[in-house]
Amino acid sequence: MSLFAAEQPASKLSRFWHKWRFHINILLLLVPLGFMPKYFADAALFRGDTGLGEREIGEVQVGPWSLRLAELRNEAPTLDGPAGHMKSFNAALCDSCRDQVKATYLRIGKPRSLRAAGVIFFGTPYRMGAMLPIPDKTKADAELWITMEGWDGAMHQASIPLSQASPATLAWLNKQGGKP
Amino acid sequence: MTLRSLNAALLVLCAGFSASALAHNPMCECKEIPGEQIQCTGGFSDGSGAPGVTLDVIGYDETILLPGKLGQDSTLTFKKPAAEFYVLFDAGPGHVVEIDQADIEAP
Repeated sequence: MSLFAAEQPASKLSRFWHKWRFHINILLLLVPLGFMPKYFADAALFRGDTGLGEREIGEVQVGPWSLRLAELRNEAPTLDGPAGHMKSFNAALCDSCRDQVKATYLRIGKPRSLRAAGVIFFGTPYRMGAMLPIPDKTKADAELWITMEGWDGAMHQASIPLSQASPATLAWLNKQGGKP
Repeated sequence: MTLRSLNAALLVLCAGFSASALAHNPMCECKEIPGEQIQCTGGFSDGSGAPGVTLDVIGYDETILLPGKLGQDSTLTFKKPAAEFYVLFDAGPGHVVEIDQADIEAP
């Protein structure tokens, strides 16, 4: 700093800043506090401390097996770029079927074949996740089909109405205005 | 902008976009091109292509009319079958996209 500049009287704002800057910076430490409730809620959700998901759908019987199904978020599908809108579901296999079931699939509408059974659940049998694409033209009376494949080659299917599986998705579809 | 603030901005950007990079859902688009041909393009939602991935044309009676694989440019062009069909982009179990013939746009 030159001598010339130092001789100039400091402005009011400058004096305020120099006097209080330390205290003002302590306030910055409070900023993260505002984000903490959401952070801890998310951490608990992903750890499973608050259950399988934000909204439990309940136990669904699929042939001799059953699984507990939940929406990860109780909200409308989210857009995943060009792949379209996606909705996350979580599931847990029943105690007796954990070592019998090889794969679990989820699809809107009845699958044409096992190859096209929809998206696959991944993760441990205690807490699996799947991201289901929701086509824009899904009808309000659509059904969510669960296909389970056993290690012995057996295949069992069951369906529940989408309105029961995810009211938030149905509300979103209705708001979209049912595209043709 | 100083180097330090640039670095901070980069860090924020990396943190913000990290979650979106995790999802890579399969996607496929088919369109009819002149000459009774259909061209399908496959890929994943993280922007990557799908060269070599299986794309089968299957009849409504579940017979495979045309088994195929996407080329190096992630596309496959085939002649429109006479029978009713759907296209199955198959990147592995649970990573499939079905496209019904009714959803294939005419030129």
